[in-house]
Amino acid sequence: MPDNQKSICEQRVFEEVFNTHSKTIRNFIYYKCGDSAQAEDLTQDAFVKLWNNCAKVPFEKAKSYLYTLVNNAFLNEVAHKKVILKHQKSITSIASHESPEFVYREKEFKEELDRAIANLTEKQREVFLLNRIENKKYKEIAEMLGISVKAVEKRMHGALVSLRSEIKEFKK
Amino acid sequence: MKYQNNDTYIAKWLAGEMSDEELMEFKKTTEYKDYKFIIDVTKGLEPPTYDQQKHFSSTLNKISNQNQKNTTKVRTLIPHWAYAAAAAVVLFLGYSFFFQQTTFQTQLAEQTSFLLPDGSEVLLNADSEIAFKSFNWDSNRALNLTGEAYFKVKKGSKFTVKTKEGAVAVLGTQFTVNSRKNFYNVTCFEGKVKVTSGKLNHILTPGKAISIQDNIATPYKTNEVTPSWTAQESSFNEVAIYEVVTELERQYNIIISGKENLKTAYFTGRFSHTNLQQALTTIFDTMEIRYTFDANRNVRIQKYK
Repeated sequence: MPDNQKSICEQRVFEEVFNTHSKTIRNFIYYKCGDSAQAEDLTQDAFVKLWNNCAKVPFEKAKSYLYTLVNNAFLNEVAHKKVILKHQKSITSIASHESPEFVYREKEFKEELDRAIANLTEKQREVFLLNRIENKKYKEIAEMLGISVKAVEKRMHGALVSLRSEIKEFKK
Repeated sequence: MKYQNNDTYIAKWLAGEMSDEELMEFKKTTEYKDYKFIIDVTKGLEPPTYDQQKHFSSTLNKISNQNQKNTTKVRTLIPHWAYAAAAAVVLFLGYSFFFQQTTFQTQLAEQTSFLLPDGSEVLLNADSEIAFKSFNWDSNRALNLTGEAYFKVKKGSKFTVKTKEGAVAVLGTQFTVNSRKNFYNVTCFEGKVKVTSGKLNHILTPGKAISIQDNIATPYKTNEVTPSWTAQESSFNEVAIYEVVTELERQYNIIISGKENLKTAYFTGRFSHTNLQQALTTIFDTMEIRYTFDANRNVRIQKYK
């Protein structure tokens, strides 16, 4: 079936949309709020709304519709609180030099990095993590957030500058 | 450094959009090393795990709950859908819901046989279930099995038996599949049978069988020409005694109490489906398990001393 004839009101199509987007949307919210349970809840709610409005949303608009929904839901519900992201697996070892001292420094560095990421502004953090973890291109991030590519680049630049200045290791 | 007046240059560098000249210059700076390090290190970051199926089911639950509360405003939904879909996600993963399933089921102490649309024969052992779609059967010979069954497959396209533990694929042959909780056994009687379970891939030829318990696969040989249970017997090859006792319950539709007293042990042998007293003697006496048995067919396993 060509995409422009697909209706989200069909269970099969709805499931396809869910399987394609739900994980990234969950992560997207997680990068904003740092609470995976809340991110999952907001994601599910967005899909419930999508189902309720399935007749009005064309298949190809589903993605941007979902992002707009979760974005708004997030802004409405979430007070700006400090974000501590718990990365499931944080820093991979950098293979070449793994002396005990290095391992220790790496651990220290990881903690600093987590703190520095948490201290980014919400806008910088979502852009930085969408790019670094989700491997999204600036153009894709711009579409998700409804902003220009230039704005994404500025936030990314700002995020890296801020991380560098936050991490003590670099000041030595 | 003209590019440093630019408030996106690190982003450009990361996306590989810097000109060669700018890149050369940027690489000479001390900050370059720091940014490179941040980028290298953040390659290893991963978000927490995400269970897509679970969240899809929860989403469906939310949809059906709101429809119960708020029927006027919300698009109506076929009430069975959410449940059917949730069950289907688990049971018939990867299947479309379009064509209706045909289901055959047996109760405890019951066996049944039937023909598939292409004339292949199926013999279903006690407490088992088979579901398949008759639509387009000849080109898509696949069915779902819970429990134990014996198949005599007519030659034709690939024939697949899917179970929770793994899949069995054949062309034309005779074989049995037994998929119970914690236990998975496939025996080949004719032709060739391919068994997949997780990462395991195993090809069985006539007289060969494989059993998988607790993720350990044990291939073995058998002299049987048809499965013993089609001749009123159940046979076992190094099967955990707990599974043997469970099969006994299934074949006689009885409840055996005190199963928690069973020690870890493996049983090789067979028991009859027609004489409970004899079956109990065969299993328990050889395994030195003490038990009581009364006129109401109540069996109780005693504690070891």
